[in-house]
Amino acid sequence: MTALEAVSVYLPSVRVPIESLAGPLGLTDMQVKLFRRFHGLREVGRDPDASLEALLLKAAAGLDALHGQEHRVRYVLYARTMPVVGPYPVNPLHEVCHPLALGHALAFTVTHQSCASGLLAIDIAGRLLAADAADGPDGPDGKTEPLALILSGEKAFTREAQVFADTTVFGEGASACLVSAFGARDRMLSYASSVRGDFDSDTGANDARLQREYRPSLAGVMRQALDEAGLTLDDIRVVLPHNVNLVTWQRMCLLLKFPRDRVVLDNIPTSGHVFCADVFANYQTACERGLLQPGDRYLAAAVGAGGGATFAAMVFEH
Amino acid sequence: MTAQETGLDGDFRQQVLDTMTTVLARLLDRTEPVTEDMRLMEELGLSSTFGLELLLQVEDQLMILIDVEQMDADQMKTVGDLATFVAGHSQPG
Repeated sequence: MTALEAVSVYLPSVRVPIESLAGPLGLTDMQVKLFRRFHGLREVGRDPDASLEALLLKAAAGLDALHGQEHRVRYVLYARTMPVVGPYPVNPLHEVCHPLALGHALAFTVTHQSCASGLLAIDIAGRLLAADAADGPDGPDGKTEPLALILSGEKAFTREAQVFADTTVFGEGASACLVSAFGARDRMLSYASSVRGDFDSDTGANDARLQREYRPSLAGVMRQALDEAGLTLDDIRVVLPHNVNLVTWQRMCLLLKFPRDRVVLDNIPTSGHVFCADVFANYQTACERGLLQPGDRYLAAAVGAGGGATFAAMVFEH
Repeated sequence: MTAQETGLDGDFRQQVLDTMTTVLARLLDRTEPVTEDMRLMEELGLSSTFGLELLLQVEDQLMILIDVEQMDADQMKTVGDLATFVAGHSQPG
């Protein structure tokens, strides 16, 4: 069963108040007030001296479980919100693999599900490793078992990568997560996703419909993931959200009748929406706050919007 | 539901309603008046984002803070529903 072996997150210590982004991004006073007052977005992380590669390496450097185990890493997946993060022929993923001594691994990017690509990457990594094990001598002995490394995090280069349509402000940061096919730590019990290409439009004609259907659609995949795991929301200790904004999750809680204090919203005011790294950052926060005990079940949820929309949810056992 | 039925301060609710209809007309660029019984989404086409901007402007004009955490947007069908909620879930800001 797919499992998270270790998670490391890098969030820059430099925080930028969203008011200071108003000028460069062309935000009105009302938009800034809306972000702060209702969306709960006060500041975002920026690391102006770090390249994209440096961000990813800083996250990987904190992954103690990787050190000395590089030879076991068979796949490196880079889960991304933005389809393009550098000019051709720059390949940030390959440039990161070499200093990490992972040049032997099959490395590829997972994208086109925007901010839901992180959960997809976990599912892909687990299935690739399980398929390899079924075809070969690799066994779940915990010592030689192959691993996959999932990287995520992006630089907020462009306006599109800094703010999303009165909804969220992106922050810089990165995460690194080791995945195995048979681990015992954080086992994935189920994964559900709904890819909605019908929300795509060049003119924004579907934006209002997406706003209307956003929360019910997300609730739908969360319930589907719970059903597939044979659980209900009452069995869930915490929800690890994507950091789109506070008001969306406050309303999700009303819709789901789930207590707000069991949704890990801590990072939204100080880090903003850290692309696909949100779920990993919120997992780390949940562990640091002692919210997860062995045996607890938790639910990760994300929406990727842009070029359509993907709603995704994943249930784990800690 | 009327202000009397909910035990709200009727004068304050009327003040909220008046402010809200004025702001809505401006936000939506309407020349026709906005009335209490109009449906926010179906009739006025109010999006979530405009809805939050409306609340922000009502807060500013009436110098109040609205407890949005308690607001179930799906229950706010009409302009009157929203005015009733705001009048019952706000405090001086």
